[in-house]
Amino acid sequence: MSKHWTLRLKTAPALRLDLRALQPSALAALSHDEAARLPVLHGNERTSAGDWFDLSFTDAETPALTLQGDLSRGDRIGWCLAGGTVHVEGDAGDYLGAGLQQGAVHTSGHAGVLAGCEMRGGRLEVAGNVGDFAGAPLPGSMEGMRGGVFIVRGHAGERLADRMRRGSLIVCGDAGDFAASRLVAGTVAIGGRPGAHLAHGMRRGSVVCFGTPALAPTFNPMQGDHRVIWQLLSRDLARLAGPHSPFAGLPARQPRRWAGDLGAGGQGELWCLA
Amino acid sequence: MTDCVINGVSIDESFAEAFPMRGTRIIVTAHNITWARHAGQTATGFATSVIACGAEAGIERELSPDETPDGRPGVALLLFAMSSKELAKQLERRVGQCVLTCPTTAVYAGLEAPETLPLGKNLRFFGDGWQISKVIDGVRYWRVPVMDGEFVAQETTGMVKAVGGGNLLLLARDTDSALAGAEAAVAAMKAIPGVVMPFPGGVVRSGSKVGSKYKALSASTNDAYCPTLVGLTPKSDLDERTACVMEIVIDGLTFDAVADAMRAGIAVLCERGGAAGVHRIAAGNYGGKLGPFHFHLRQLLPKDHA
Repeated sequence: MSKHWTLRLKTAPALRLDLRALQPSALAALSHDEAARLPVLHGNERTSAGDWFDLSFTDAETPALTLQGDLSRGDRIGWCLAGGTVHVEGDAGDYLGAGLQQGAVHTSGHAGVLAGCEMRGGRLEVAGNVGDFAGAPLPGSMEGMRGGVFIVRGHAGERLADRMRRGSLIVCGDAGDFAASRLVAGTVAIGGRPGAHLAHGMRRGSVVCFGTPALAPTFNPMQGDHRVIWQLLSRDLARLAGPHSPFAGLPARQPRRWAGDLGAGGQGELWCLA
Repeated sequence: MTDCVINGVSIDESFAEAFPMRGTRIIVTAHNITWARHAGQTATGFATSVIACGAEAGIERELSPDETPDGRPGVALLLFAMSSKELAKQLERRVGQCVLTCPTTAVYAGLEAPETLPLGKNLRFFGDGWQISKVIDGVRYWRVPVMDGEFVAQETTGMVKAVGGGNLLLLARDTDSALAGAEAAVAAMKAIPGVVMPFPGGVVRSGSKVGSKYKALSASTNDAYCPTLVGLTPKSDLDERTACVMEIVIDGLTFDAVADAMRAGIAVLCERGGAAGVHRIAAGNYGGKLGPFHFHLRQLLPKDHA
């Protein structure tokens, strides 16, 4: 038997909170007092979870954590999560689900910058919007998202999936400039309008988008029959994104395909649905 | 020995002796079922017996579009060999020469198992550097450019310990009734998942015994069941009523699958009755020395007679 913890924010922080210590699997072994003593950085100030949250728990089958309140200044929620589930009822701050390895992180609101950066597995879902560099590398790192499934129901900021290497990143809304730039591999799907410089410098991988984005001349329109791989890819996207997403019914549609970025090897592909 | 006669069909108190093999299932899809059949039939061609074919294989069944990964019609193929190394070799050759070459096809794993065999893993090199991989839902596919578009092959397929050599011997009064009984039995067996009958039409007329008077041969005609040798060979197991014997050989992914197929075959033969011409069902064995899997015919009788 494990624990399902609920942490309700008592007061809005003046500075940013570092919530990386709030891990469901770690909390499952702790008493109420022990959990309340978990370290939480408030700016550079060392504080405890009990200073910011009302804590309570119930018995559960698997480790789980629910965070309640406006946590738009709560950073690193689900940091390198290795199991269990984290649910944020409201907005989340920066680095949501960064380094996620296993388990699930979900927020019912928006998330800040660098959401899902360098995640390796598991499932991250944001009901609202995400900021810049979602699924991208941490500053100074060479590779972005490396596995798992990342779904954004709203819009994404700039540099979505920058240097992403593996996994599936689905944005149901619009994406900012330079989405899927320098993509190494993996799948990026954008249900709304992509910004400028889509897939700039992509090496491999697949980008799925709607409409007719302005592409660089280093993308080559492809002919020939690619229906088999499209069926495999589109069915997976439709399954992941669900029946009420722009990707529902995707397998029945016929996309156009470009290969690119020829300036970076040209082994990537861009699927566009009119 | 007590007699066991069902509707005029005598069931021997004997057993079919089967041996361990390695098996796999692959799914081949194509633009339409015609081309999937072409690929399936070619890939499982010349795969009747490991004695000289390297593998035993067959089309398990045809698949509707909603049963395949890419929504196209397809066929499920089962392949068996005596070792994992030989199975890997046969799989690669057969998929490489018969599926990759067949217009519009794609190939997928039909089994999930801890042990795997390369499927597209090595065939990708046909792409001469133009091949690309795609991981979808944790499964890696290889995409090889070919003249009709793209050959998509899953990287690996699962391999399991399987059972080869389940069999039934149908002793009949003449060729027509033997063929009719064998065809009916094979049709019933094909409805059982996880088995194939690898011989032509599922039936072999040249049942073999182990060894030969000629040192170079590992197998030779099963003289005990040759009607033309009644009265000549001292080992004949036939009486004057039998003018034709057919054998159905069954390979399966599990012991139970082979047993179910044999049970289905016996049931349909008993239902047709001895008057239809097949008056006795026997089984091939080697005294229990060859294989660890023994399928006792009388344990596979129709439920009303079990």
